[in-house]
Amino acid sequence: MQELADSIRRLAVWPLAGFIVICLTLTYWQVAAAPQLNNAKENNRSERMRRRVEPGQLLTRDGLVILDAKKGDKGWERVYADTQAFCHLTGYNGRSGLQKSLSDVFYAQGAYAHPLEDLLRGGDVGNNVYLTIDSGLQQRAHRLMRGRCGAVIAMDPRDGALLTLYSSPTYDAAAVTASEDAYNVFVYDPQKPEINRSLQGMYPPGSVFKIFTAAAAIDAGISGPDAKLHCAGTERIAGTVVKCRRGSGHGDLTLQWALADSCNIAFAKLGDELGPGRFRQYVKQFHLLDAANLPLPTAVGRMADFKGFKGDMQLVEASYGQGATLITPLSIARLTATIARGGEVIQPCLVDHVESPGGTGLAHGQGKVLGRAVSEETAQAVAGMMRAVVEDGTGSVANLRGLKVAAKTGSAQNPSGDPHAWFTCFAPYEQPTVVVTVLVENGGSGAEGAGPIAVDILQAAVASRPQR
Amino acid sequence: MALGLALVCLQQEQSLVRLLRVLTVAGSFIVAALLTQVDSEDRDHLLLPAVSLIAGIGVVFLWRLNPEFASRQIIWMLMGSALMILVYYLVDDVRDLGRYKYTAGIGAVLLMVATMIWGQEKGGARLWLNIADIVSFQPGELAKILMCLFLAGYVADKGDLIRSQSRDSDLLASAALRHMGPLLLVVAFSLAVFVLLRDLGAAMLFFGLFVAVSYLASGRKRYAVVMLVLFAAGTVAAYYSFPHVSRRMQAWLIPDADPYGTGHQILQVLFGLAAGGIGGVGFGKGFPDSLPAAETDAILAVIAEEVGLLGAVGLMLLFLFVAYRTFAIAWQSKDRFGALLAANLGIVFALQTLVIAGGLLRLIPLTGITLPFVSYGGSSVVVNFIALGLVLTVSRDCRPAIGRRAVPRATDNDARERLPERFVAGNGAAPSR
Repeated sequence: MQELADSIRRLAVWPLAGFIVICLTLTYWQVAAAPQLNNAKENNRSERMRRRVEPGQLLTRDGLVILDAKKGDKGWERVYADTQAFCHLTGYNGRSGLQKSLSDVFYAQGAYAHPLEDLLRGGDVGNNVYLTIDSGLQQRAHRLMRGRCGAVIAMDPRDGALLTLYSSPTYDAAAVTASEDAYNVFVYDPQKPEINRSLQGMYPPGSVFKIFTAAAAIDAGISGPDAKLHCAGTERIAGTVVKCRRGSGHGDLTLQWALADSCNIAFAKLGDELGPGRFRQYVKQFHLLDAANLPLPTAVGRMADFKGFKGDMQLVEASYGQGATLITPLSIARLTATIARGGEVIQPCLVDHVESPGGTGLAHGQGKVLGRAVSEETAQAVAGMMRAVVEDGTGSVANLRGLKVAAKTGSAQNPSGDPHAWFTCFAPYEQPTVVVTVLVENGGSGAEGAGPIAVDILQAAVASRPQR
Repeated sequence: MALGLALVCLQQEQSLVRLLRVLTVAGSFIVAALLTQVDSEDRDHLLLPAVSLIAGIGVVFLWRLNPEFASRQIIWMLMGSALMILVYYLVDDVRDLGRYKYTAGIGAVLLMVATMIWGQEKGGARLWLNIADIVSFQPGELAKILMCLFLAGYVADKGDLIRSQSRDSDLLASAALRHMGPLLLVVAFSLAVFVLLRDLGAAMLFFGLFVAVSYLASGRKRYAVVMLVLFAAGTVAAYYSFPHVSRRMQAWLIPDADPYGTGHQILQVLFGLAAGGIGGVGFGKGFPDSLPAAETDAILAVIAEEVGLLGAVGLMLLFLFVAYRTFAIAWQSKDRFGALLAANLGIVFALQTLVIAGGLLRLIPLTGITLPFVSYGGSSVVVNFIALGLVLTVSRDCRPAIGRRAVPRATDNDARERLPERFVAGNGAAPSR
């Protein structure tokens, strides 16, 4: 009998050991192997979990809902605004745009939140995001750009708030999300509507870049608005032949007139005189090639890699915005804003504030100054020259009654056909509240192709922005 | 448990009727505990509360899956606990059951033969027997208990012979083998039947039971080792000869190969476990609809997903506790048959839990088998409660001498004759002897 009892005791060890193995294996799958399993491609749990959470809305600063949510058969689904004007902001299918980059905010990190947190937060409801975008301006840009490819940016130079961030062509985010056919047409569209041209479009800046060269030259002390320059129409500078838009040349001219009438030769000479070292230094100080710190993908600008010797032909080309230089419309808008706000580089921002279900708005840092590019006097001098562009020069389209505008036009030579039309401006001249930059691909001359659009947006924006 | 269920009810805003039904189950456990409490001195007092906790957790999760499942499970639990109480009172002395060992063995074999002939196929295995198209049950579940009874009775009688003769030096002593023969025959037959029925889980269970019994009978490990070697060989043979076995083995070894086919269930189970993490995603917040057979085979995965590692380990500890108590009853038993019966039932209980948990955790191939007292299923619940009744009876009748149970049993008395007297004695009061 005792023998049997001992046998049972010894036998019982095995099942008991089995339970220990089970508990250890549970620990392995639930803790050690969990991250890998949660990310497995066959695992649709996070997606299904997400559909349970009511995602927050995406709204413009004036309260227009551009991305909503409704409860469907398979859980919560996104509903897009009727208009296509906001497609590059919302993105499609949760895989692009702010839907992707701000998903943690929309879903309140709630996909795998602890149940206790849900209780405290009051259920699975995400945060609403308010953008700095003005819906009226954005839709106005959409109307004005119909039939054109390009970008429209409006920005408040005082705090960097982006009032308009528009790219054309647009797409129907709802259709692209819902239908595979629409998606296929969309991704293979040769005009590439998926690209947000205002942030990802890389264009030669052309003459709008002369704002930079002028500012750098004045700040470096080698020139001034009234400094004398000479243009012979066609000149050989640093081994490259530069042609002015006036074939016979400007003759003797001031820097102000060179900017107003957009003389290439004058700026080629200034760039050559600045030299690669100082030129690069100012590019850095203006944050010209830097990606903007926005919750949307932003391209980094590109410039020829001129070495440290004087007389570099690539530097000469870069001085008037041609050559290998490629830059995003946002960079030009920021360059203009830097001049408008007296030489400080402002960080553009897109998100105004976040509203959590409880109703408390979580403030977002705005108006962050990245640094000083040029002195205030330099900025004022360049602003004055840009005012002259409107009053006497190529930007006369912006010469309005009742609103003093400062501007610069650009017609950027490019390999794809007609020049790209640029128009960048700010107003009111004395106390700027709005910067507008417009790019129209192959739009011809800046004043004709982009100018009227920019002026229209600028007038509407200034009217809607309060003076402080 | 009643409190927990009541809280769940309130949380899920279910109707008052359901709450009452839950309270009925809770009440039935309390009544059962009280009833068995009456002659309480020797009986185990921890098993029933532990099992009712496990069963309560099971009902809560079945409720969460589908209140309809919980309602039916509750009815089966009531039937099961009624049978448990009946076993406890009808079996006057568990040692009497030893006499019916051959009846039990033949009954088990007949049940399985009946399943083979008239069985209904559900979910790829022929495990269901319909009686007059009204009741359908899984005879394999009942066969488990009968087999435990048979093996306990047989080994209690012949164990000494097997034990003494197996001390001979040759590996499989012929004399020992002679006495092991009938055992081997019955078990080999039932194994064959389960393999033919494609009930691989039950086959594993029976085989494990037999390995354990052969060890208890002989006190020698070599039989168990030989068995396991044979089992390994059999597994390899089955892998190459039965396509459904090889499919299942492949699903176990490389589930990624066919993530939406054979590997689907185990992958979804693992995803559920991973989603649960340490604290779980929260009660009612998992995705049991991703798990095939969530209410039966995969219920442990549902629990592990929603209440996490902590909850799952807690449940496993409860199972461990029940198994431990059953074994403790066995080794404290003063009677060979009682000890063997409790040990056998303990092995079946523990093995069943380990086979399904191990299957879900990808330690072994996943087989269709219930988690005792938790999985949805009438046959399983009822039979497990009967087994619990038997274990409680053993604990009542075979515990070390403390009181009156220590009196030598009256071998000439027939248990059935004493039954009426026992009930006349009133509500389970100790019979006068």
